[in-house]
Amino acid sequence: MKISIGRLLCGTVLASAALIGGATACELKVGVPAVLSGPAAQWGIALRGAMEFAAKEAMEEKRIVINGVPCTVSVMPIDTKYTAEGAASAMNAFAAANIKVIVGPVGSPEVTGMKPVAKRNRMVAMVNSFAKNSIGPEWPTVFHIGPGPSGWAGPIIDEGLKRFKFKSVAIVAPNDQGGTDIASVNAQIFKAKGVAPTEEYYQRGTTNFAPIVTRMLAAKPDAIDLASSPAGDAGIIVKQLRQAGFNGPIFRLGGPGTEEIARVAGGYDVLKDFLWFEPIAMDDNTRALEKKYEKLMGAPRPENADFFRWVFAARMTLKAIQAAQSIDDAEKISAAMRKLPVEDEHIGKGHWIGQKFFGINQEMSYPFAIGIIEGGKQQPYKRADAVKEG
Amino acid sequence: MEGLIATGLIGISLGSQYALLALGFTLIFGILGVVNFAHGGFYVMGGYVAYFCAAIIGLPYPLAVLVAVASTAALGWLFEVFILERVINDHQATLMVTMGFYLVIATAILVIFGAESPQFDFPLQGVWRAGAIYIPYANMVVLGVCLAAIVGVYWLVYRTNVGRSMRAMAEDRPVASALGMRTKMLFPFAFSLATGLAGLTGALVTPILALAPHVGDPVLAFSFLTVILGGLGSVSGATLAAFLVGLIEAYAAVYFGGSKGALILFVLVLVILVLRPQGLLGKEARRA
Repeated sequence: MKISIGRLLCGTVLASAALIGGATACELKVGVPAVLSGPAAQWGIALRGAMEFAAKEAMEEKRIVINGVPCTVSVMPIDTKYTAEGAASAMNAFAAANIKVIVGPVGSPEVTGMKPVAKRNRMVAMVNSFAKNSIGPEWPTVFHIGPGPSGWAGPIIDEGLKRFKFKSVAIVAPNDQGGTDIASVNAQIFKAKGVAPTEEYYQRGTTNFAPIVTRMLAAKPDAIDLASSPAGDAGIIVKQLRQAGFNGPIFRLGGPGTEEIARVAGGYDVLKDFLWFEPIAMDDNTRALEKKYEKLMGAPRPENADFFRWVFAARMTLKAIQAAQSIDDAEKISAAMRKLPVEDEHIGKGHWIGQKFFGINQEMSYPFAIGIIEGGKQQPYKRADAVKEG
Repeated sequence: MEGLIATGLIGISLGSQYALLALGFTLIFGILGVVNFAHGGFYVMGGYVAYFCAAIIGLPYPLAVLVAVASTAALGWLFEVFILERVINDHQATLMVTMGFYLVIATAILVIFGAESPQFDFPLQGVWRAGAIYIPYANMVVLGVCLAAIVGVYWLVYRTNVGRSMRAMAEDRPVASALGMRTKMLFPFAFSLATGLAGLTGALVTPILALAPHVGDPVLAFSFLTVILGGLGSVSGATLAAFLVGLIEAYAAVYFGGSKGALILFVLVLVILVLRPQGLLGKEARRA
């Protein structure tokens, strides 16, 4: 078989070009372990939407430039089904794809499942979860997108006490780490405020809460806290509480999702008196972010307000990558992240906390808001200061 | 005392929902010998069709329920004729095919309607009360429909020629076919009847609880639990087991809490099955 010199040269040139191209191209892949099905799907959709937006924004505005080469940023979302095993499985898939940068997941069971895989595969991760061990010194490359109820439940209970009279509260949550960690923290805070708490747990996957509602109301509580019950479950609980004749205020000290809760429950009239943690108070800057999302993505932003927290987290991660000048060295990216100020162009400024609660200063803290529905009418969000330690 | 009665009413209400689902599930096993893992999918589809007709198109709710029943029954018929019938004698294949079909339905709904729950309210609001005892009107409607469905299915299976033919097919398919019974009509009919019942349940129950693409998962688990307890293939067994499961679930959750309640329910079911492996009213073996 004869091979002409011309063909040989041509092949060599093409192969060299491909090799050079491969060496200089910068392709950042971000793994997004997110709950995309089940009653908690709204949270995962917000996470995925925020990361996809931040990725597109980074490419359009050339925010990631490594060694002078602008990077492409792609997102790989995998449904974790709000389970530890789902998250661990997603993380193994990311490891197999050589992905080192992770944004997500949302819930405590997922974060518990993913952290060992992140550590083993030297990944940097920006996680949520309100668990007592969401982050810690044993996971130095894991960062937290914001405080849990230990940070913001107190001001929300204070606001509730100003508006309604209650001396006892029944707290309801799922009977796994995603529920018990949050409900027990909420119970401590209610107790510190002079409100007697009782805790009630249910099996995740329950569809009819009438027996649990009956049990809760047998203790004659003045108020109810839905804690971290997923929005779908929380909506049914509220509906059945009101059907059972409960008229007191209802707290949701476990994350946003009020729109979906209201839809499932049957509207704001059914929620009646309702207080919740809202990640941000909407202002002109955040409305500008909404418009930017709509322009870039061609659709309105995901409904759940956790979207804003995830945009903050995604942008911080990308900024750290840019500062570290590396798309795959978790230690370098983590070191760069620790030096960055907690700041977002649309959401505002905050600071790093976490040393006191978690033993590591890797939790972002920034101003949040208190959502209030009174007499079935939504009130303006009340802005609250960023949580500080010490 | 009021607490006991109130809990009993909740248990009956839960039982009526489980009975509606279990009837279809057990009918399919009793007649076709198929464990239909797509049953939860037909339940979800019934809910979404009713929601689409009532909340989006604006049809009156009763008409929306009828459309849901008709569409789930029609899809069940087509599924049986074009897919299930080809593998009906291979038990593993029927498991895989029905499970796969469930995923197809759930994913299609997810793609079309999204993962979040829409607002879908039962048109009859309000609650009947007498002291601490209460029952939402919507639950009364479901209970009424459930009782009517039980009577209807019982009448069809045990009092009509179609029912006799279906039972004959269940007993011995080759002999029944040799005697002139039309398998190609009766099997799809039985399957569509069952999926129509699942669609009816979805259309009635999802506005009372919640509508979302995933709500078929727990429904499937409870249907399976109920028919196993009642005796696979037994209509009266499934009905009895459904109310038993509903009552145990309610009393256990109210008096022992949500976590322990679930544990008590499953332990009791386990004990009953150890004592009667064929279920409460099931036969020891199934031939067809």
